[in-house]
Amino acid sequence: MNTPGVTLVAAAPATIERPAVDESISLEHPWVVLVWNDPINLMSYVTFVFQKLFGYSLEKATELMLDVHEKGKAVVSSGTKEKAEMDVYRLHEHGLWATMQQDGV
Amino acid sequence: MARVKPPFAVTKKGIVVNLGSDERDLLRRLFGEVEELLTSASIGDPKLARLFPPAYFNNDEAETEYQRLMRDELIASRLSSIATVDEFLADDQLKTVTFAQLDAFCAALNSVRLVLGTLLDVGDIDDYLDADDPRHDELALYNFLSWLLDAAITAISHNHGAS
Repeated sequence: MNTPGVTLVAAAPATIERPAVDESISLEHPWVVLVWNDPINLMSYVTFVFQKLFGYSLEKATELMLDVHEKGKAVVSSGTKEKAEMDVYRLHEHGLWATMQQDGV
Repeated sequence: MARVKPPFAVTKKGIVVNLGSDERDLLRRLFGEVEELLTSASIGDPKLARLFPPAYFNNDEAETEYQRLMRDELIASRLSSIATVDEFLADDQLKTVTFAQLDAFCAALNSVRLVLGTLLDVGDIDDYLDADDPRHDELALYNFLSWLLDAAITAISHNHGAS
């Protein structure tokens, strides 16, 4: 009986090589930086800061600003804990209300 | 306050500043007040709450560490912006500013707005000026600063769009 499936299984390597990754890193959730709506910062100022700090286009920065304004918050950047902490610091430097947290936690 | 010229105008000669001496004096006084708060107020002073927002929710340990590492940096950055701005506002012959100077102006001006807005408990909806509101004069000042910041951002954005 011709059973290609068996042939394929038999041809598979007996042992599965694991990719060489550090699981403590690969399993770690990336960090996200959130900016929260507040009654003081001007819409034009928030858009300007997003462009200045993250190099976003006017369209992208405006979209994020409107998310903050209408939905109460928006994720403006993500990455390692160190990157998130630096982004939060720069947003605080510009007077925006920013926090950081691990995505999905 | 009737105005003919915008406070900042991007021209071939650079960013022309149209601020009267009374306006420059007022701004320098306000920047001086924020400078004094930054250098002398206690950590928990509610007037400064918006200048040092929390970086973490529900993580007191990380938050304490963030404030320990970053608070002095945040203070130094604000004082640096104020020093830059105070220097050019003090110049009676002031005609133009660079984009870097205008950028520092935006940062310093927003610091003043954050302190004043916190003191006035500015709400989500635009506060219109009610003659009976005990905060009337301060709200008028706050609105003037908002208008001025918006004008500065328009001038800076002109540069971004052109580059």
